[in-house]
Amino acid sequence: MKEAALTYHNPNQRGLKMLVLLAILLPIFFLLDLRIGSYPISFSDILKALFNPLNLDNQVFLIVNQYRIPKAITAILAGAALSVSGLQMQTVFRNPLAGPYILGVSSGASLGVALVVLGTGSFIGWESISLLSSWGIVAAAWLGSALVLMLIIAISAKIREIMTILIMGILISSAISALVNILQYYSNEATLKSFVIWTMGSLGSVTNPQLSVLVPSVIAGIIIALLCSKFLDAFLLGENYAQSLGMNIRFARTMVFVSTAILAGSITAFCGPIGFIGIAVPHIARIMLQSAKHSLLIPATILIGAIIMLISDILSQLPGSQRILPINSVTALLGIPIVIWIIIRNKSSVNF
Amino acid sequence: MKNQGSLVQLENVAIGYKSHTTKVVKSGITLEALPSELVAIIGENGVGKSTLLKTLGGFLPPIEGKLTIGEKSVHEYQEKELAKILSYVSTEQIRVPNLNVYDLVSLGRYPHTNWFGKLMTEDRLLIEEAIVAVGLQGFEDRLVNNLSDGERQKVMIARALAQDTPIIILDEPTAFLDLSNKFELVHILQQLARTKGKTILFSTHDLTTALSESDRMWLMLKDSIQQGSPEDLILNGSFNALFDQKKLNFDREKGDFKIRKTTTRLAIVTGDGERLTWTTKALERNGILVADH
Repeated sequence: MKEAALTYHNPNQRGLKMLVLLAILLPIFFLLDLRIGSYPISFSDILKALFNPLNLDNQVFLIVNQYRIPKAITAILAGAALSVSGLQMQTVFRNPLAGPYILGVSSGASLGVALVVLGTGSFIGWESISLLSSWGIVAAAWLGSALVLMLIIAISAKIREIMTILIMGILISSAISALVNILQYYSNEATLKSFVIWTMGSLGSVTNPQLSVLVPSVIAGIIIALLCSKFLDAFLLGENYAQSLGMNIRFARTMVFVSTAILAGSITAFCGPIGFIGIAVPHIARIMLQSAKHSLLIPATILIGAIIMLISDILSQLPGSQRILPINSVTALLGIPIVIWIIIRNKSSVNF
Repeated sequence: MKNQGSLVQLENVAIGYKSHTTKVVKSGITLEALPSELVAIIGENGVGKSTLLKTLGGFLPPIEGKLTIGEKSVHEYQEKELAKILSYVSTEQIRVPNLNVYDLVSLGRYPHTNWFGKLMTEDRLLIEEAIVAVGLQGFEDRLVNNLSDGERQKVMIARALAQDTPIIILDEPTAFLDLSNKFELVHILQQLARTKGKTILFSTHDLTTALSESDRMWLMLKDSIQQGSPEDLILNGSFNALFDQKKLNFDREKGDFKIRKTTTRLAIVTGDGERLTWTTKALERNGILVADH
């Protein structure tokens, strides 16, 4: 009989410690993000707005409640969702540079949005969009993302080379941009302006009613991702090994792509295409945790992604000034150095 | 052991690829492997070793004939069911950043754990046992990417062991290894077959290790397939058919191949022991036949 005691007692201690650290950092950056903006609001007023709104100046309460809290929550959702979808894509495609933006999944989502918004001409400004049409836009974005994902699966079944698939992703994005351009060409001026602003990415335009669509969508996508963590671990060894371990490849891949499409599609629908978070964050998570297990990596990418999006939002406010930068530019400037570093490391060492 | 009666049996099997057209790589294959046997699969490149292994592993359906794994025909298994009977180590080099040895080996428990892959005490005992069996204790926290080829191959074998299957199939496990690692690895496989009662099948180009360690050989020739113990196959002359006889000659006494050379001169050498053996070898290399006396 088995009397031997277990000798290995280190089930990812480092990973658990990092998760605790990140969970402490997240609310700190959340409060910082609420604090910073063109209208000066003190920390004590922010805490009052959160916990004791009756003792607060009505205008300050409105700013915090109607604008800053939805924006900060959107930042958390966007960071978490894009990072988790990036992690899943990197694992399934076994490609360190995969991500929703670079492989064209975000473009697919924006095509869906463009078709609904520009095509139907119902685009009168985000604030006036009803709950029903919010769901319509999100669903169109999901379909667009899923379409591109299926296209990439078909291509990567024929081509294994990482860089070639990336180039394909860029080509798909370009083709979709061309389609969107055609739609833009035939739409009226007001619609066009709103759409162009949307493509620059924005966290602040998401209203409370839209959040009631975004929050359940992102939570659903993350729950599916967590349910896939065992599949994702097996995908690390490649599809042959995964199959020999008894995994149903089709089912597992469908689950992962449903989650990816929901996460990337929902965020793109409301915030516009936000780049480079999806590629960069999973790498930061792997390095911080020194682990490849998805049951740890998914929570870690959620937390790191949320924190980095909050930081991006804080930076986009240009603290101390009255101006705001488009969020897409900030994430690109933060993310691209990390992506360059990944490429250099990829060429010079055995990693991936 | 639970391996009673579990074995691999092929009856008149044809292997190959089926897509738009059927491409038969080899047909009429009748072979078997018993519990506690280490089976070496030998054959020239292109003769169909990999196709055979893929068919055995359930990745390719046999085109015709009957392939029995354990008690059932291979296509009657669900993926998960087959994964509890048969584990597979491919030639693919695994490179995953930040994946450590323990976590990779623990993936072997995949078909046995719950939806979230939670490792119970029994799982963890089997993982540790597998790591010890390939001699990698102390390597648990090492990252797979930082290991040598030999160590990484051992990790992949430990992963197959952790899967706890009566049958293990390995596609050229010694391909990337140096000479001493080749011997060590094949010896580990032989020990595992003996002590754990497993049926272990591996393909290889390395005759010397296969001849000394395997219990059974599947010899894949161009127009036929032979099976038997290495000794029987040597004595009945099957090995001579393995390679082009105009170029290579199988030395039955030494159990090794020699490139056939035209010998023009004859020499008589006297002496004994190692010096005689190696002097003879040097003369033969230079095309001088050494006469027996």
